Amino acid sequence: MTDEAGVLLRVSIFGFVAGIIYWFLSYEWLGTVALLLLGAGPGFAGLILVQEQRHRGGTGESRAVALRRLAGIPPQDPPGPKDLEAEDLGVLPLPTIWPLAAALGFTILFTGLIYGLWLVILGLGLAGYAAWGWLAAVNREHRYGRLEADTEPPSPAAGPVGDPRPYPDPENPQPEPERSER
Amino acid sequence: MQPSRRAPARWLAVTAVALAAAGCTPQSVTEQGQAIYNLYNLFMYIAAVVFAVVSGLVIWSVVRYRRRGDELPTQTHGNNRLELTWTVIPTVIVLFLFVATLRAQDKVLDTPGDAQVNVTVTAFQWSYRFTYEGTGAEVLGGPDNIPTMVVPVGQRVRVKLVSADVVHTFYVPQTLFKRQAIPGTVNEFDLTFDKEGIYHGQCTQFCGLQHAQMVYRVEVVSQGRYQSWLAETTRRGSAGQPGT
Amino acid sequence: MATTELPLPALPEAHHEERGGIVDYLTTVDHKKIGILYIVTSFAIFLAGGVLALLVRWELATPGLQVMGENTYNQVFTMHGTLMIFLFAAQVSTGLANYLVPLQIGAADVAFPRANAMSYWLYLFGSLIVLSSFFVSGGPAAVAWTAYAPLSTNQFFQGTGMDLWIIGLAVVGVAGILGAVNLVTTIFRMRMPGMTMFRLPLFTWGVLVNQLLILFAFPPLTVVFALLFLERNFGAHFFDPTTGGSPILYQHIFWFFGHPEVYIIILPIFGIISEVVPVFSRKPLFGYRAMVFAFFGIAALSFGVWAHHMFATGLVYLPYFSIMSLLIAVPTGIKVFNWIGTMWRGSITLSTAMLMALGFILVFLIGGITGIFLASPPIDFAVNDTYYVVAHFHYIMVGGLLYGMFAGFYFWFPKFTGRRLSETLGRWHFITFFLGFNITFFFQFLVGLDGMPRRIADYQIERWTSANVISTVGAFLTGVSVLIFLWNFFRSIRRGEPAGDDPWEGNSLEWVTSSPPPSHNFHHLPEIHSERPAFDYRHRDDPAFAGAHTDPERNLDRG
Repeated sequence: MTDEAGVLLRVSIFGFVAGIIYWFLSYEWLGTVALLLLGAGPGFAGLILVQEQRHRGGTGESRAVALRRLAGIPPQDPPGPKDLEAEDLGVLPLPTIWPLAAALGFTILFTGLIYGLWLVILGLGLAGYAAWGWLAAVNREHRYGRLEADTEPPSPAAGPVGDPRPYPDPENPQPEPERSER
Repeated sequence: MQPSRRAPARWLAVTAVALAAAGCTPQSVTEQGQAIYNLYNLFMYIAAVVFAVVSGLVIWSVVRYRRRGDELPTQTHGNNRLELTWTVIPTVIVLFLFVATLRAQDKVLDTPGDAQVNVTVTAFQWSYRFTYEGTGAEVLGGPDNIPTMVVPVGQRVRVKLVSADVVHTFYVPQTLFKRQAIPGTVNEFDLTFDKEGIYHGQCTQFCGLQHAQMVYRVEVVSQGRYQSWLAETTRRGSAGQPGT
Repeated sequence: MATTELPLPALPEAHHEERGGIVDYLTTVDHKKIGILYIVTSFAIFLAGGVLALLVRWELATPGLQVMGENTYNQVFTMHGTLMIFLFAAQVSTGLANYLVPLQIGAADVAFPRANAMSYWLYLFGSLIVLSSFFVSGGPAAVAWTAYAPLSTNQFFQGTGMDLWIIGLAVVGVAGILGAVNLVTTIFRMRMPGMTMFRLPLFTWGVLVNQLLILFAFPPLTVVFALLFLERNFGAHFFDPTTGGSPILYQHIFWFFGHPEVYIIILPIFGIISEVVPVFSRKPLFGYRAMVFAFFGIAALSFGVWAHHMFATGLVYLPYFSIMSLLIAVPTGIKVFNWIGTMWRGSITLSTAMLMALGFILVFLIGGITGIFLASPPIDFAVNDTYYVVAHFHYIMVGGLLYGMFAGFYFWFPKFTGRRLSETLGRWHFITFFLGFNITFFFQFLVGLDGMPRRIADYQIERWTSANVISTVGAFLTGVSVLIFLWNFFRSIRRGEPAGDDPWEGNSLEWVTSSPPPSHNFHHLPEIHSERPAFDYRHRDDPAFAGAHTDPERNLDRG
């Protein structure tokens, strides 16, 4: 299991154990439910991570690696690419006003709960408009990348974790980029 | 600026003041509070030692290990035995404090059998009403009238604490005890005063505009004086509150 | 040791070299600019909250209502707590985290840059909503930052100010949750190759745990605010005992959020101290793994202790919360001992950042120890809701948070701006702050032990006056220290000494890049072999370190 799944699952176990002990000591509903939910939330996320890792192939740690770890021998560094392109570190979006507009719309919507439906509708409208603009920007950048249309698309070398797949373009099918372990 | 030379002096000053604070807990005027006072002192001695040791180590390491050249010191990453020690010892100390806490807690919260005096304290915005169960006596406070709860010395006083509106507290600093008055709940606790006197009481749970004025007194008197006060108050109906 | 040269991408230059224009900041999705926005906004709110604090101290210096009436006082201390806890304390660390975490893990930005921007704007707009409550009729909320029901329900406290308070904070809460999703995903998924979890710098670990806490603690806050809002405006009866509701329900949900909140505030600060102390001791952090596990121990325990704020209610199971609260001393103690272990046999430079870190340790020690007292219900019965508690949490929040924050500012100001803050002014800042802070809050322990309650506009007991006068003097001295810092800041922005990439010989990855970093963060990325990539990079040609990776898992120097 990956370190991340480990973190989440340990939090989850704590939540369940603490919740159960707390119930039998106090019979108090709210704290028990809160602690059990604390267990359920990260537990769910952790299990998804484990599931996804299994799906990607391998249990995350081969027997040889597990034996090294238990023996106290430091792990070998995971293989990484020697030539990191800037894009391999992650695709950076272009500056955009839509997050500000969406935040404004959302805030106006919430404030409308105090002042009346008309303000809620105004906020909803602005937030909706911002969501539309935001998605349009995302769509545009995925399809055409951050580069101009006539330059090279990012190399499909094995990149670090955050490498999002570009929006599949039917005219230019690209090989699936390999994904490294973390 | 010579911080390293001032540092030990500063440490001494801070530690001394911290230890002086140990003498500043009020002595308790109830039996139940005595357990709290003793527990506080136990915690204080341990705390003073921990503070002196840890702050001493900090100051010492700054004084002793100031940079004196460009050479890198030994790049130690850790020490398993040391780290285990300073995990186990605090755990032991903490467990010890927990056991001491449980013992004191039992003494403070115990409500065995019947009490000789039963008072229902009703907290409201922004004063108190004291109703002596089984008698007709009642004391009602108000904006211009600080109510006094009269109780006999040496006898177990059982307080039933309720609230008429928001959350308040019943707190007499010299009893080292407080309890919240929560609307919809009846909170019960005992106070056995062992010293006569007049003690200041105040609401500590923020309860609105005049929270700062929500004060009262507890007057602890001899049993004879208490009986006569009770008789007189019952006869008068409601003590000290004009026009109620 | 090889470095990998990154070819600069063929991107329109105009998008990357602009700095500082208004439009630039309004449309930015760059984590560095967003981090600066968070820090500047939260610091401005800190100054406002500080002014409110000075008003409190001015009123309380002597008995009698001199400066303001009771209602105004109640509003002032309520908003002081609200601004400081909700709108400053957790946010300044988020700002530092936004700037530093991608740099420390070798990423070009966070996982969701646009959502990151939205989080900031939600925080700003939510804060403005809260601040707007000063200008509506009836004024701002006056129910304490904890806003207990039933006092905060419509029955006892009317006015739009309270509703604006709830809505504004709910929006800020959403911002926090969104930001937490972002940062947790970033730390889990966007580390560069070689940056395993156990090579992360402690600041990033602190941020990870802090953001996980936010993820699980903020939703209950949003819930309790929703319940309160429904009760105030839509006729709900969750907290009304006369119709089947329960006032204690509010306290339970609130503190299930409220206790993790204080750890949310302090954990990144632990991370900052764990960065500063090793650098200025010229030694690695002592007991790296234990420090990481201590973070998780503290975080886990913090979810199990909420009702220690409710010991005086008589309605909670005391022993469970007592033992859990006492146990938090163990991982916290591990941290303090490990910091001492780092300094021990080190080579210590007392830069301002290090002075602040040392001040943190001493002051946090007092705050933490007094917390142990409060973890014992019988002692809590005596001192809860008195100035003892006020002093305790100000030792942690002002002593802990502010010393740590200033340590971080002095440490990372060169990285953000390319210039150094003045060390001379920094020393004056430290001295006035240390004196002012201790004078303000130490005597509050004493007057709290003597029975002075908190949240009172006025007091009648004459003998409490001297402690209050001293405390007020200290408060104004603390205010002076903040002014010294501001002077240092504005002077150094323009005329500070140029800093270069790595003025302190730092350990973590951000010191490998330029000051300030380029828009995509790195031109070169070294290979990662330990938790001190910048140190390894500096010593890559040093035969003394050849082949001996400074890897905590190597067990080279462990006794």
